[in-house]
Amino acid sequence: MTSGFERSRRRMLRLIGAAGAAAGAISLGLAIPAIPAGAQQALGMPQDEEKVADTMKRLFGNRTIQDAGDRLKVDAPLIAENGSVVPIKVDAELPMAPDKYVKNIYIIADKNRRPLNARFSLTPDAGKASIATNIRLASTSDVRVIAEMSDGTLFGVTREVKVTVGGCGG
Amino acid sequence: MSVGQVRIRVPEKAKAGEVVTVRVLVTHPMETLQFKDNKPVMKQYNFIHRVEATYNGRKVFEAEMTQAVSQNPLIAFPVKVTEPGTVKVTFHETTGKTYTGEAQIRF
Repeated sequence: MTSGFERSRRRMLRLIGAAGAAAGAISLGLAIPAIPAGAQQALGMPQDEEKVADTMKRLFGNRTIQDAGDRLKVDAPLIAENGSVVPIKVDAELPMAPDKYVKNIYIIADKNRRPLNARFSLTPDAGKASIATNIRLASTSDVRVIAEMSDGTLFGVTREVKVTVGGCGG
Repeated sequence: MSVGQVRIRVPEKAKAGEVVTVRVLVTHPMETLQFKDNKPVMKQYNFIHRVEATYNGRKVFEAEMTQAVSQNPLIAFPVKVTEPGTVKVTFHETTGKTYTGEAQIRF
């Protein structure tokens, strides 16, 4: 079982995160000077580590997230043996009318280095808000699924997924 | 299994007004961060950051993905079908390459 070691290593990582980011920014400038300026070149570059509270603030500002209850059905394993493939299925019992529909579904894993896993955007043409994918989890963590309606209302559900082996490459 | 192979599964037959689930699988490594001395290695990683789907040319679905999506990403999304047509799914990689797959929805 590596979980104890894994956990302390992650805590260490988090501590070093800030220093690492600063050092990284410098080395980035030195090591890859050939990349042209513009928005495109940032693609694929590691981004700074982020706390889940900061992610939530970045994505949703100060909007309150209502407890979705039965309106958001999340299918996630209680225990994921392998953190690198965790199947997640989301079914929303929310209106999909042209004037009010589920615009975005966010999957956020609290303890990942960058908590935002994926964002799915739907249109009223989808007919029903139901998506599924496989995500990576670094460690045992809460997974938040948040549905954003076209009028800005937010519905959220949190599930804890226990992970035996982390899957975020270190 | 070559990188960028897109496989799409749709129901064999659909009815007008039905919501069908489109399941897409793309073969892709979705590179994770490498660490050296507990710091992420600063280089460009190759993963799929955006997925777009159209139905008869009309955009029906879009997803923004990060490295926290598994290798060989599997995505399922709904489409309400009103007429027979083609579902086209495009994956955008961080290197700028795109991979596309198509499937016919028959009535």
